[in-house]
Amino acid sequence: MVKEYSTFVSAPQGLPEGQEIKLAIKDLTPGPRKYDCRIVKAIVASSSDRIEGGDVLWLKSLVGITSPKPWAIKILEELGDSIPRPPYSELIQVTEALNEGLTLE
Amino acid sequence: MAFKDNREFIEALEKTGDVVVVKKEVDWDMEAGAISRRACELSGPAILFQKIKDYPEGYRIFAAPVATYRRVAIAMGLPADTPIKTIYDEYERREEDSIPPVVVKNGPCKENILLGDDIDLYRLPSPMCHDGDGGRYIGTWGFVASKDLDNEWANWGMYRFHVNNQRSLAMSPAPGSNLGMVLRQQYLPQKLPLPVAAVVGADPLSSIAASAGYAVGRNEADLAGGLRQEPVELIKCETNDILVPAHAEIVIEGEILPDVSAAEGPFGEYPGYRSRGFEPKLYCRVTAITYRNSPILTMSNLGVPPDDSHVGGCLSTAVSVKRRVEQAGVPVVDCYVPPEGAAFMAIVSVKKGGNEVAQTIGNAIGRRRAWISKIIVVDDDVDVFDMRQVIHALSVKCHSTRGIFLKDTPPGTGNPFSPCDDAEEKKHSIGAVAVFDCTWPSHWPKDQIPVKASFNTIYPQEIRDRVLANWSEYGL
Repeated sequence: MVKEYSTFVSAPQGLPEGQEIKLAIKDLTPGPRKYDCRIVKAIVASSSDRIEGGDVLWLKSLVGITSPKPWAIKILEELGDSIPRPPYSELIQVTEALNEGLTLE
Repeated sequence: MAFKDNREFIEALEKTGDVVVVKKEVDWDMEAGAISRRACELSGPAILFQKIKDYPEGYRIFAAPVATYRRVAIAMGLPADTPIKTIYDEYERREEDSIPPVVVKNGPCKENILLGDDIDLYRLPSPMCHDGDGGRYIGTWGFVASKDLDNEWANWGMYRFHVNNQRSLAMSPAPGSNLGMVLRQQYLPQKLPLPVAAVVGADPLSSIAASAGYAVGRNEADLAGGLRQEPVELIKCETNDILVPAHAEIVIEGEILPDVSAAEGPFGEYPGYRSRGFEPKLYCRVTAITYRNSPILTMSNLGVPPDDSHVGGCLSTAVSVKRRVEQAGVPVVDCYVPPEGAAFMAIVSVKKGGNEVAQTIGNAIGRRRAWISKIIVVDDDVDVFDMRQVIHALSVKCHSTRGIFLKDTPPGTGNPFSPCDDAEEKKHSIGAVAVFDCTWPSHWPKDQIPVKASFNTIYPQEIRDRVLANWSEYGL
């Protein structure tokens, strides 16, 4: 059963395909636990053809606009529910905070 | 008698026709949000959703509790049709006479207590308010209670918070907020978790008090007592020493951790736009959930005006603005924060105006936080509560160069929700304030000040009296 998730990114074209990346995702499984947030290590791709057995990943802009075409995601590891960064660090996006050192446009 | 809880308030709203009870099942996933958003935009009634998809019978959502001045008046125990100025005056009078809370041992908020492995935020019907929000915001008209590490200052602040997962919340108080200040100055340097209690569904005036810009060191619970004209009953949390309203519907106890963040936002906010991204904010680990039987979760589905933040919220903002300006030595007649301005605009009328007075007002309002970015200063012949008069004054009395004062404010003071700020301004919370001076210049001789061409000002008393006495005879 393919599952669906969403995440927020500043620019979809900047997401590195086929590379391990840390993401904060929302579980879109219908029911009372929908939108549960998880931090995961995953591989993502712009097309489901490129990830065997992958799930659906809807990309949203930072202000919440959904891209029309979904990406694919394969979750490799669950990393909990928090970002290892103290509160009130300099304003930074979630994906950036999770992947310091990895350039994401 | 003040309403001890939202249940009594809802009963009062039913009597005046200011709440609609929706019996048809609605989905917590955007449907309840869309209904209440449209109702707000139509200045419609509050809504009590009685049946929520996925949730047991009796679990309810109460939307838009104080999104009209009628409902604010009812919350204050005034007649529903009380004029806005009277509501403002009464709020100001009560605010001056704060009443400390009383602590009780038992209260309905303890009817259900979830601890340890039983903690599960998904037991509550938190709404997904808008499409594209970053989560299910259980806190939209709720507040976060916390304490100062050093001197027992108990702060209530209305900050949005959403469910992160079963056992954690993502919270969004700005670094410059009272809670943010306590966290940054006292808890983070010692790497201590900050105990908090998120209160959802307190009585209406406690919620309005929590939304007020109350001075640092003063307890909003005292303000709530003043507004209610009787003390709020508080009760101690199960897992920390925070005191919370005993008649609240839901209390989520927890601690803000000093070493991690939660992915928070975005959210369709009170300026009427979803303008700020998905960012690391405060992570609150839940230590207990207590709630009443058949809990009523409060929702204020923010967006374009008017909603609760622009009506109930702006009332307290206006009074605190007036106090700040008075402290700067300016004799203020009235101050209004109109719902249409989404809390970004304040209109101040003064007995004696002029450029210097207008600039003093701008400096006073923007001194600590420049969240109000448009300030209109008018003479006292303008009723600040009548937007027709205000727009007229702005249009004809504000000189387009000499009457407008622009000022950047220091980093950290800007409004983090301002949609017109660019990325760099958002990053550093840089603010800007514009003051529109619609008063006559103080150096103009009295006999050269233009005469207002209105019925009340340009005719002799004798003519006005005759016209009024004969008005119906004219066939008007």
